[in-house]
Amino acid sequence: MKSCYRALPVLVGFIVATATVAFADIGQIKNVSGEVFLLRQTVQSPAKAGELVQQFDVIITGANGTVGLTFIDSSRLSAGPNSRIELKQFRFNPTTQDGEFVTDVQRGTLAVVSGQIAKRSPDAMKVKTPTTILGVRGTTFAVKVEE
Amino acid sequence: MKNKKFRARWLGLQLRRAIAASVACVVITGCATVKPAPKLNTYVVLLPEESSAPTAVIVGEGASALTLDRPYSAATVDTAGKIDRKSPTAAEANQTFAAALAAQPPKPISFTLYFETNSTQITPASRPQLEALMAEAARRQAVEVQVTGHTDRVGSDTDNDRLSQQRAESVRTMLVQTGIKATFIRAVGRGEREPLVPTADEQPEARNRRVEVILR
Repeated sequence: MKSCYRALPVLVGFIVATATVAFADIGQIKNVSGEVFLLRQTVQSPAKAGELVQQFDVIITGANGTVGLTFIDSSRLSAGPNSRIELKQFRFNPTTQDGEFVTDVQRGTLAVVSGQIAKRSPDAMKVKTPTTILGVRGTTFAVKVEE
Repeated sequence: MKNKKFRARWLGLQLRRAIAASVACVVITGCATVKPAPKLNTYVVLLPEESSAPTAVIVGEGASALTLDRPYSAATVDTAGKIDRKSPTAAEANQTFAAALAAQPPKPISFTLYFETNSTQITPASRPQLEALMAEAARRQAVEVQVTGHTDRVGSDTDNDRLSQQRAESVRTMLVQTGIKATFIRAVGRGEREPLVPTADEQPEARNRRVEVILR
C-alpha cells in the first residue's frame, strides 16, 4: 500500500509528461491589448504575451481586445475586438516544411500573413468562417465575420 | 344617471383595452427579445504584400469559387453561400481591419554575423550588424531567437561542429548579457554542413564563417 502511494506522484508525472508531448506548441502570443482569453479544452484564462499556443486552442477577444500571434511555420495571425478564433488544425514538419493549418473564424476580424505551410502547398492552409472556406495561396489578407 | 352608467362602462372598456394593449405589448416585446438566427456574412479582402511574392485567396470551393488576386480585391459570402465581388478602397479596407492590422506581429527577420578564422571573435565589419540585431531584439515583444553557427571547411568535421556551436553560444551569451527578454534563445551549431558558398574541403572561405540569427 505504502509503495502504491509512493508510485502515485510518478504516475501523475508520467501522465502530465505524456499530455505535454501530445499537445505540442505550435506558436506564440506576441502581443495582447485589452481583454483577451485563451480557451484550452475547458479552461479559459487571460492570455499573456509570450504564452505558447497549441492545436485546438481558441483565442477570444473582448470589446476592446486585440491579439497578435506567430506560428512555427512563420505564419502570423492577429485578431481585432469581439473575435473568436479556433486553431482547428495545425501540423508542420520543419525539415520538409510540409504541413496543414486550418483556422476557424467564428466571429470578429482576423488578419493573416501566411508562412511556410501555404508556400509549400497551395491547399495546405485554410481559413473557415460560418459561411465559407478560404484557400490561402499567399499571403496577406483579412477576414471579417459580420452579423 | 343613465349617462353616468354609460360613462362607467365606457371607462371600463377603455381600461380593458389598455390592459389588453399592454399585455400584447409585453408579448410582442417578449417575442422580439428572442433573437432570430443571426444573419452572418463573411467579408474577405486581399491586402498588398510586403514583398512582390505572388498572392491569392480562393473564396469558396468548387465551381462557384472566386479567386482574389489583386490588392484590395474583396468578396462577401452570405449564409446561403452566395459570393459577391467587392472593391473597397485601400482606406476603407484598412479602416475595417484597423484593430486587427495594428496587432500584427512584425515579420521574422534574419541577421548574419561573420567570424575571424578559427575563432569566436566577430569581424569588425560585422559589428554594425550585431548592434542592429541587439536593437531589433530589444524592440520586439516576446521575441524568440534562433542562433545557428557555421564554419568554413578548414579542419575536421568534429572540430567544426564544436567551433560552430561555440560561435552560436557566444552570440547567445551576448544577447543574454544585454538583457534581452527573450522567451527562447536556441543556439545550435551546424559545423561545415551548410556553407553559404560551396567550396572544396580545406578551403578557407570568410563568408562561411558565420552565425545566422533569426528573430521571431
